[in-house]
Amino acid sequence: MNELSVQKVKLKKDWKLTQRAFDQLLNWLDEGRNSDGQKYLEMRERLVAYFDRKNCCDPDDLADQTLNRVGRRLEEEGITASESPARYCYIVARFVFMESLRDAQKDNTLRQEIRPTPYNNGFAFSEAAEKQERMLNCLEQCTAKLDTAQREIILQYYSGKERLKIERRRALAESLGITANALSIRACRIRDKLEACVKLCLGAK
Amino acid sequence: MSKPRYTNHDLNQYILGALPEAEAESFDELSFAEEEFVDALNAAEKDLVDAYVQGDLADRELERFKSYYLASPLRREKVNFAQAFKVMTDRKAVAPVEVEAAAKSPTRRTASGWFSALNVFAVGHPALQSAFVAVALVLMIAAGWLVFDNVRLRHQVTQTQTSRDELLHREQELQNQIKGQQSASSTTEQELARLRDEQNRLEQELAKQREQQNISEQHQPLLGGPGVASFILAPQLRGPGQIQTISVPAKTNSVAMQLELEPNAYSLFSVSLLDQSGNKTLWRSSKLKAKVAANSKSLTLGFRAAILKPQTYVLRVSGISAEGVTEIVGDYPFRVVKSDNPH
Repeated sequence: MNELSVQKVKLKKDWKLTQRAFDQLLNWLDEGRNSDGQKYLEMRERLVAYFDRKNCCDPDDLADQTLNRVGRRLEEEGITASESPARYCYIVARFVFMESLRDAQKDNTLRQEIRPTPYNNGFAFSEAAEKQERMLNCLEQCTAKLDTAQREIILQYYSGKERLKIERRRALAESLGITANALSIRACRIRDKLEACVKLCLGAK
Repeated sequence: MSKPRYTNHDLNQYILGALPEAEAESFDELSFAEEEFVDALNAAEKDLVDAYVQGDLADRELERFKSYYLASPLRREKVNFAQAFKVMTDRKAVAPVEVEAAAKSPTRRTASGWFSALNVFAVGHPALQSAFVAVALVLMIAAGWLVFDNVRLRHQVTQTQTSRDELLHREQELQNQIKGQQSASSTTEQELARLRDEQNRLEQELAKQREQQNISEQHQPLLGGPGVASFILAPQLRGPGQIQTISVPAKTNSVAMQLELEPNAYSLFSVSLLDQSGNKTLWRSSKLKAKVAANSKSLTLGFRAAILKPQTYVLRVSGISAEGVTEIVGDYPFRVVKSDNPH
């Protein structure tokens, strides 16, 4: 895929992903195995993470722009099988990122990727404490919703410090009969599930 | 199992935006295309955030985390979550211990009774009191030293881990360089082998051409070039017989001989010109193929006339087998007479 062909597919401001184009995009991301939209969600998460790592102002919006652009290309011109969906999305994301940089420079906006803003923890102590308390409540509720095995894994895996933590993880992997790597992946996914649940919970309050 | 293409240190540097641009770009691509990398990155980021929350980051990493990682609202949310998560896991870790303490509470009255008994002793014995205080002080100092040493050792472990990761990274880089050089060297070797084969082929071709040239030179005298005298010799009859005489005119440059062969199984021959004693070889041919005509075979050869003096010579014919073994198949004696007449 060359630079010219991607640049030709400039997203018009009023172009939206139609249902048909969206379905086409889902099928293409699934690569023949129906994932019920999971692949789309995963790809979106990776795009958000990518734009966030680049210190872009609005990673969610840029991720949606990328997926819209890919969907539009699929609908209008079709994409050849030379690139995998993941790699293709990455290439489009790179261009979207470059364009966002250029736009920011045109607008003279101070971009965090040029000069990252240092973390300012100067907000009110009481506000932070209150937010933390709410988060803790939500976290307790979400943890209670996990099944026993998942709860046990998440509490054991992330308890302790330094050597004790390492020992605990090793013992846990042994007791479950899985490798340390497999345990790490499992624990991370449970934690991601908790994080998503807490976000929903905080949004609802 | 091959070594990983990235270490934990690499992942942390990537998360903190501290990797060189080219490497960061390759990791960007992996973060889309490779599941294994995505899982490793996810786990590394959580461990890094937890290390920050627990106060286990030091120096440069801590500075970088504060200045770079916390610059993003999304990432700050992750830190907030990690802080709440730590509080929850600490609470849940502590809970079983509290349950055990509560279960033991009926015995406390008894224990306090024992303690109060000890107090009686302490009040009545200042020396004992001083001793207890001294022991408590020593214990506190020892505990303090242990805590300090623990912190120091933990710091050392972190530093050693960082150095180890850096070394692994460097080792990986060097291995990649070696692989590159080996590949280049293998290409060069292949090229050398190809050139050697080509040289061998050319040498063989040259040898063939020389052989062909030799044969044509030997045949040339029969073409009837200037100063050539041609003779036909028959095989020597069994028993004493007359020796053929050949008259070589003056100013003859070359002598061409046609030797009629007796029946034999050979197709390749070599011929030697021996002096009259039969001991000295004056001339030897290269490998000759017999000409076949009707029911007879003959050999054609030529040599310089200057070799011949007015005396007796023998042309000895040897057959050459496929294995290269030679066997004398016939002798052709002849007497040379020099004639003044050039024709």
